[in-house]
Order: sequence, then structure tokens, then C-alpha cells
Amino acid sequence: MERASLRGMGLFGILAGALLSWAIWDGSPYGPRVVATAGTYALLILGYHFIFGQAGALSLAQGTFFGLGAYVTAVCATRWGLGFEITFPLAILLPSAVAMLVAGSVLRLASHYFALATLGIAQVALLIATSWQDVTGGATGLSGLPGIVLFGMAVPRGWPLAAFVWGLVGLGVLLADRIAGGVRRLAYETLREDPNAAAASGIGGARLRFLAFALSAAYGGAAGALHAHTVRVVSAQVLDFGMMITCLAMAVIGGRKRIAGALIGATLLVLLPEGLRFLADYSMLIYGVALLVTIVAAPDGIAGLLGERAPAFLPQAAPPPPKPAKGGLDLRDISKRFGGVIALDGVTLGLRPGEILGLIGPNGSGKTTLVNIATGFERADRGKVGFAGETLSSRPPDDIARRGIARTFQTPALVPGMNVLDTVAVAGGSSHPEIHHSRILARAAECLERMGIGTVAATSCGDLPPGAQRSVEIARALALDPSVLLLDEPAAGLNETEQSELGARLRVLAARGLAILVVEHNMPFLLGLADRVICLDRGRIIAEGTAAAIQEDPKVIAAYFGTEP
Amino acid sequence: MAQLLLNGLALGAAYALVALGFVLVLNATGAVNFAQGDMVVAGGYAAVAFAGLLPDMPGILLLPLVLALMAGLGLLFSALAYFPLKRRPPTAVFISTIAGGIILQNGITALFGSAPRSAPLLLGEGGFQGQGFLADRQTLAILGVAALLILGQHFLLSRTQLGRQLRATAQDRDMAQALGVPVNRMIALTFALGAALAGAAGLLLANRFFVTPTSGGDLMLKAYIAVAIGGWGSLPGAVLGALLIALFEVLIAGWISYTVASVALYGALLVILFLRPQGLLGEAAQRRA
Repeated sequence: MERASLRGMGLFGILAGALLSWAIWDGSPYGPRVVATAGTYALLILGYHFIFGQAGALSLAQGTFFGLGAYVTAVCATRWGLGFEITFPLAILLPSAVAMLVAGSVLRLASHYFALATLGIAQVALLIATSWQDVTGGATGLSGLPGIVLFGMAVPRGWPLAAFVWGLVGLGVLLADRIAGGVRRLAYETLREDPNAAAASGIGGARLRFLAFALSAAYGGAAGALHAHTVRVVSAQVLDFGMMITCLAMAVIGGRKRIAGALIGATLLVLLPEGLRFLADYSMLIYGVALLVTIVAAPDGIAGLLGERAPAFLPQAAPPPPKPAKGGLDLRDISKRFGGVIALDGVTLGLRPGEILGLIGPNGSGKTTLVNIATGFERADRGKVGFAGETLSSRPPDDIARRGIARTFQTPALVPGMNVLDTVAVAGGSSHPEIHHSRILARAAECLERMGIGTVAATSCGDLPPGAQRSVEIARALALDPSVLLLDEPAAGLNETEQSELGARLRVLAARGLAILVVEHNMPFLLGLADRVICLDRGRIIAEGTAAAIQEDPKVIAAYFGTEP
Repeated sequence: MAQLLLNGLALGAAYALVALGFVLVLNATGAVNFAQGDMVVAGGYAAVAFAGLLPDMPGILLLPLVLALMAGLGLLFSALAYFPLKRRPPTAVFISTIAGGIILQNGITALFGSAPRSAPLLLGEGGFQGQGFLADRQTLAILGVAALLILGQHFLLSRTQLGRQLRATAQDRDMAQALGVPVNRMIALTFALGAALAGAAGLLLANRFFVTPTSGGDLMLKAYIAVAIGGWGSLPGAVLGALLIALFEVLIAGWISYTVASVALYGALLVILFLRPQGLLGEAAQRRA
């Protein structure tokens, strides 16, 4: 486990100890109830972390999923007398189903609209709960819930219930760590920080966000079920915006990016009002002030204050075997216009396995657009992207990356705060989803060695010079086990020694069967490297040949320097 | 029917003030001010407090006092909840304004208690009886005051040097700064203006509908929806959106029930967001890098 998490868990241990001692000292049945309440909130916030912390989307429906879980439990238990073994799965399933149903529409929205849409959903749920009196009991709600009865065995109120709740929190932590820990956590971080870097790493943003939203709803529903059994009354209050505020305050104050943050936030904000009971009337005011102070002074919450990111550890496991190359790239009659500007006009080119193809052309001639279209970052108006016997023209960029067409960017797309090894591991994880974290890291380390940057594995990408950042991007592309590699100005910012080193590494890759396209202005670099060079001008191919021949071609010279009068 | 329309217009005029303040801040900062509804409530309570200090004053004379106090509150709000976060992603400001709203709401509860309160009538009792409807003085005064404030705001933005600077800031902050516009001062002023408009809405609404400390959330949502309908960032769109949702609400509530009206409103909002994520009238707000 990481150092920061250890410290976070330590702080949580202290808070939990304080809460327990307070509850035991209190001596009344209220004590264990408060401990159980802290547990239900911990589960709620663990869920909220998926969508708000990992996926980075401000959902205002987490309180609603909690309320739905509570209502499902209350209705099933009081009206039909169903046991926990049936009500609990239902309380998880219904909110998840609601989340999955609306996810397709709301997850596409930009941040402020996503918040508004989830708030709208929350308001509709609240209005339904207060108006549908036959089922929900209206504003008064449902009371007299039985305790938890699991397969005929009753969990008594008081400490046994509190222990049961915290047992489920423990399970929730383990599950959250499995689902959103390791490489997955890095993938979410990449997605939050730089969507282009995520797509180039083969990470499907839509899929990850969907997973996060559904999981947040499932955890919310589970927490709501436990809340219903702890409090034994379910009223519209559970769907109120106040619940959402509590949830938000706990997530932000505890820290929304680490599991320990959820536990710290929930325990602290349950403990605080109990400790400051003389201020009881002002508890929401205190939440508000604490939320404001935290978001200003400690954006990653208390857990974020506890430690730096753990250094990359160099793995011992065996890397997975590389995938065989599938074939070359076949671009047919690609056209693209932006408004009145024709960026590409019927470009056809083939890239064979083992070949290094140079692509040159003046600024604005369409080179980067061609790379964008081949990798799915932009959609061509006309034409076909063929690869290994398939047409890829309408596939999303992350899918194309996982299939084996990898790319780099003219301006490196890297998460500045993420270290080099993790950055590369994200791509390895997306192309080998079934393989264990340690082997993915081993694979990433191997890719770093191939690019000669093994020594900077633990350095943050943002601290590297531009040349090294380009090498990280190529290493990330290699971690996808690609068949085709598209490099956008890889030699920019490199001195001559570094350029020749890079050239040598690219030739090794080509010799292994990779098809490589190099977009460059730097003719001396291409002279010794490319088997073939193509020159684009205003969206059309105007010349093709060896690097030496292209250099002498009058059409190429005219495109770059203009024709003599 | 005529009565419903008149009431709807008056309500819409007040909503429009809320929505305008919301859009002004949105344009200047690129961030959503979630506390806008609580600002309305604060304005309502400011009116209640001033009326207590100055008994027998008609509400209209309290307006300048409420505007001034709320403008000050807006400045304070920007200093606490916006400026410390202005280099951070919009979500951070969103959360800080949620926090600001909670503080306002619970601060008001602590000061005034949670019972509904009512501000004085703007111009006293009276009115005239039309055919099948009563145009009472309060409704007409709400319409008049709101119209004056909206026009005043429009005049300020379109005809004065200060307004030009405010608009420049809203259109492109970096460019405005490069041209020597004191951008930070303009943003603070925008918060003051937004809060003053919200406060005026509070005064206008606080007689007929009463104010409670918790009514802010609902008003914020209405403003948010008005802005989403009217085109994210568009000022005339916000006014139009506010009038539309108020009429919608009053008519449906008059025919069926208030609950159905609210569910239908949120339902319509979700449909609009799904079908036209840029709002009915297009999107005008500046994108933040």
C-alpha cells in the first residue's frame, strides 16, 4: 500500500478510536447508533468517490441514490416483510439501474450541465417521494422498520448493528480498491487531467465514467439501506438537498481522491457535531464554513494533505509477451474540411509493416489532421481508414489505440503530476486489461528501457525537458503493443546526438515489424531514417520518393519556398 | 386566465432578476454561482430587517437600501468564495459557492429563525378591477420595478464606459486584461451587481410569497433552468427563459397542481439538456481553458 494511504488510514484509525471512545463513554443506545451512522456515510462517500473523485464529475444525485436505497428498503421491509437478503440487493440494484438508465444522456454533458441535470433528477425524485403517498408515506414517510434479519438471523440493534455496518464498509473498501485502485486509478487520473492523453493511452472515457456513475449509485443505495435500518424511519429528508450537501462536504473535506479520505470525511463530520453539541443548531453552518475553507486551502482534502504521491517502484514480475503485429495502415481518399478551409483533399497512402514513412509539408498542409483522422481524434468527411483488413473510420480514438494504432502529439499530452512509469503503465493496462498490476508495471518499465528513459521512471512528467517528454509519449505508445506508430514531430527539441539515438531506436522498432509514420520538418533527421517520404501541400500529396529525391523535387521546393517568378 | 398571465408575468419578472445576476457572474467568471438563490433570500430578509428598523415605510423606499447592502454582500462573497479559487477549475468555484450558499442560508436561520417572514408591500394596498382579473398595485409595482432594473442593467452594460469594461471582461478576460481593463475589479463589481439584482428580487417576492431561509435552492434552480433554456450566457435569453418558466409554472399550477408543475419543469429541463445541450437559443458563455 502507498505511503500516503498508510498515513490516511492512520488518521482514520485515530478518528475512529475517538468516535468509539466517545460512544462507549456516552453509554446510551445513542452511542452505537452514531457509530453505525458514521459507517453508512463512509459507504456513501466511498461510492461518491467513484464519480466525483475518480471520474471528476460533480454529481448532485449521490444523496438521491442514498434516498432511493433507503426507500426501497423501507417499502420492502414494512409492506412485504422481506428479509435483508432480498431488500439489500434490491436497494443496490434500483439506484444502479436508475444511474445506468440516465447515464447515457447525462454523462455526455459538460461539467455545469452534468451538475444541473443530476440536480434535476434529484428534485424529481424528491417530488415523487413526497407526492406518491400510497407507497412512500408522503412527507411523514415510513416508520417502524424492523431490524436487519439476514436469512432468519436477526442482527440486534446497538453494537452488533454498528459492527455489521462497519463490516460492510470494510468490504466496500476492498471492492473499491480492486475496482478503482492500481492501474485503474491512474487511468481515471489521466482521464480527469487530459482527455487526449487518455484516448492516446487507449482509455475509453465513456466506459470509465459509466462504470463510475453506476458504482457510485450502487454504493449509495447500499448506504441508504443501512441508514434505513439504523434510523428505522425513512422520510423525504433522505432525498433532501441537505443530504447531498452533507455528502459533498464529507467527500471534499476528507479528500475525494483516496479511499482513506472517504473514511476520514465521514467519521470526522459525524464526530464533530457530537463533540460540539453546544453548537448543535449551527452544524450546517459549520459544514458550510468547513467546506469553503477546505476547497480554498486544501483542494484534495485532509487525505491530500497527508503525503506526496508514492514513488514508482520498479517491478520484479515478468512482463506479458508482446502481441504480434497485425498489419499496416491503409488510408484511402481521405478528405476533411474545417469551415471554408480544405485541410485534406483526397489523400491516399499506405504504410507497410516494417516501413518508416516520412511525412513532410509546410505548416497547415494537413499533416497533423491526417494523423488525427488515422487515430480517430477527428472524423474524416470522406474516405476510409483501413487497418489489418478492417475499416476503422468511425471508431473512437481509444478503441483505435487499443487495436494497435498508437500515436504521439506535437505538443506532448501528459499528466504533469504523474510519474513516467505510471504514465506508460496506464496504456499497458488498457491494452492488457486482464493482466495483474505488477506485470503491467514490468511491461511499462520495459518500454521505458526501449526508449532509453528507464532512469527517469520515478520523475513526474511535468519536470522533464521537452525531448524526454516526447520519449515518454513514444514509450506510452509502445505499451499499447501497436502495429502502427504515428509520431508527430518526434525530433523537435532534440540535439543532434539525441536525434541520432532516437533514429536508431525507431529503426529497431521497424525491424521488429512496426509500421512507423514520422511527421517531421527536419530533413537531415529523415534522410537517414525514412524508407520513403511523402510531401503534403494544402491537403494534397504533391510528391513521393526517397528522402534524397524529395529534397531535390522542384514541387517540394516550391511548396516550401514558393516558386521563382 | 388573464389573472394567471399577469401573476405569471410578475413572478417571471422577479425570476428574471435572479437569472440576470446568475448570467452576469457566469459570463464574467465562467463559473456557476450556486448561491444566487440564497442571495435572493438574503435580499428578502434584508427588506424584512429594514422594515423593522424603519416601520411604515413603503417597500419601494427600502429598495435602494437593499440594493446597497446586497452589493456589499456580493463583494464580500466574491472575496471569500471566488477570488481565492480563480485559477482553479470551475468545479472548485461551483463547490465554494455551494458552501457560500449553505453559510448564507444557515446564517439567516441563526439570525431570523426559520419561520416564514414577509416584507412590506411596495406601494401599499389597492389596484383596479379589470374584466375577470384584479391588477393589484403590488403586482404592477413588481412588474414596474423589475422592468426598470432590467432596463437599467441593460443601459449600464450597453451605454456606459463601465459597462463596456464589464462586457470586455466577460467576453475575453485575458484580452481585456491586456487592454488595460482592471479585470479583477470588474469581476468583483459583477458579483456586486448580481447580488444586488438578486436582492431586489428578494424584496419583490418577499411580500406575496414570504421568505424562508431554505427557499433559496428552489430559486437558484429556477434561475439555472432559465439560463439553460435561454442559452447559456445570453442576457436576453435569461430574461426570456425566466418569463417562460414562470408562466409555465403558474399556468400548470393553476390548472393541475404545483407539484405537477415542478415535475414537468424539471422534466422539461432534462429533455432540453439531452436534446440541445447548448440551450434553446445557443450558447454564449466564454469557455475556460
